[in-house]
Amino acid sequence: MNSRLFFVLTCCLCVIALAMSFYMWQLRNRAVDNSIPSGTPEVIAAPSNATQKQITLWVAHDDTATLKSQSVSIASSAERQREAEDIFRSLLEIYTAKGSPHPLPAGAALRNVYFVDRGLVVIDVNSNFASGQTSGILAEELTLSSLVQTLSANIQGISQVKFLVDGKEASTLAGHADLSNIYETSQVASFARQLSAP
Amino acid sequence: MRWNNSAMRLLLSVSTFCFACLLMIAQSPPSAPQGTTGTATQPTAPSPSAPANPVPAEKPLLILIDAAHGGTDAGALLTPTAVEKDITLNVARRLKQELNTRGIQVQLLRDGDWTLSADQRATTANTGDAALYISVHASSLGSGIRLFTAMLPAGGDNNGPFLDWDTAQAAALERSKAIQAQLVSAIQQTRFPVRALMAPLRPLNNIKSPAIAIEISPTTGDAAQVASTGYQQMICSAVGNALASLAQSLRTNTGSRP
Repeated sequence: MNSRLFFVLTCCLCVIALAMSFYMWQLRNRAVDNSIPSGTPEVIAAPSNATQKQITLWVAHDDTATLKSQSVSIASSAERQREAEDIFRSLLEIYTAKGSPHPLPAGAALRNVYFVDRGLVVIDVNSNFASGQTSGILAEELTLSSLVQTLSANIQGISQVKFLVDGKEASTLAGHADLSNIYETSQVASFARQLSAP
Repeated sequence: MRWNNSAMRLLLSVSTFCFACLLMIAQSPPSAPQGTTGTATQPTAPSPSAPANPVPAEKPLLILIDAAHGGTDAGALLTPTAVEKDITLNVARRLKQELNTRGIQVQLLRDGDWTLSADQRATTANTGDAALYISVHASSLGSGIRLFTAMLPAGGDNNGPFLDWDTAQAAALERSKAIQAQLVSAIQQTRFPVRALMAPLRPLNNIKSPAIAIEISPTTGDAAQVASTGYQQMICSAVGNALASLAQSLRTNTGSRP
């Protein structure tokens, strides 16, 4: 092979390499254009085959110091724990929204719900939930009874509820309502009846 | 030796006689209280209709008022300048004055800016002889006065004189509810907004005598009203009148306690 032929082959290979690089650069730009813009997370819709379930929320209203029932629908779940978490999140959406009837801070959240034997449920809320709560006997009672009554009204077999704050035992919610003991759902139900009558 | 035996017998007889006399004195009923005039009364045979045991003297009515929070526990922040611990102390002192003028003795469980735990408050209440324990709270939410009785948690059983700490109120709960209902009825006559509820509130459930909590809140929606002297005085007057109307009932309850 003479040097002239070697030079021509080398030039051809360089041209092909440049053409392929340009094509790859074009493909990359097209891929970036088609991708989701950053900063705007896409909401993933629930699977279309998931069944909806109608539940009753017991919503606290500060203006009248009462509990009022409100129907909403959530995605039905076979797991009790998942369903309880969905129910709580529905309730918290109401309380943390602007113009809430019973305001809780935006950071207020449920950490976990544990189903323990013999009808005992442990509800673990974060510290924002407790510290952002309006302090007062009735104000704190409205929050707790709203959670307990909503849970026991929608999930069968719950007889007792225990609250934790950030995974630990707390003496009170915000200085008044006792969290050191276990709540009987039957007692909370009778209290909720008292609160339902203004 | 013979003398010694006789002396021993005599000593034994005298001892037996003295012991018998002491037993008779110990088992005899106490003498009836003397009349208020101070004149000596002639002993008379008991009439068939007279009770076996005399009626004990009427105990003075004592109410224990507990200003909630205090010290490092400020309670709720009602306005930027008004904290619950100060308001409860002011209300407790005013209520004490109102009750004293109506002839009811009052003991303040907290009469300064002190930190007291719920257990300390319950211990003080349980070791005293108060006919009623009242815990005073203040809030910006709601309207008027709310009276709470204990919402008892799931707890252990009370065995005889040994009470489960978390449910010590169980035996007195019905009495507490009756007092709450009577107070609500009396306050309603003043047209002041009042509501009866129950609450999972310590130390109500740890107290063995009748116990209620009072939470005062504004009627105008403005939390500053709760901190005002005039409003506090109005509430204390209404509650004082209501408690005075129950005085006889509370006094009877005190007398019947073991």
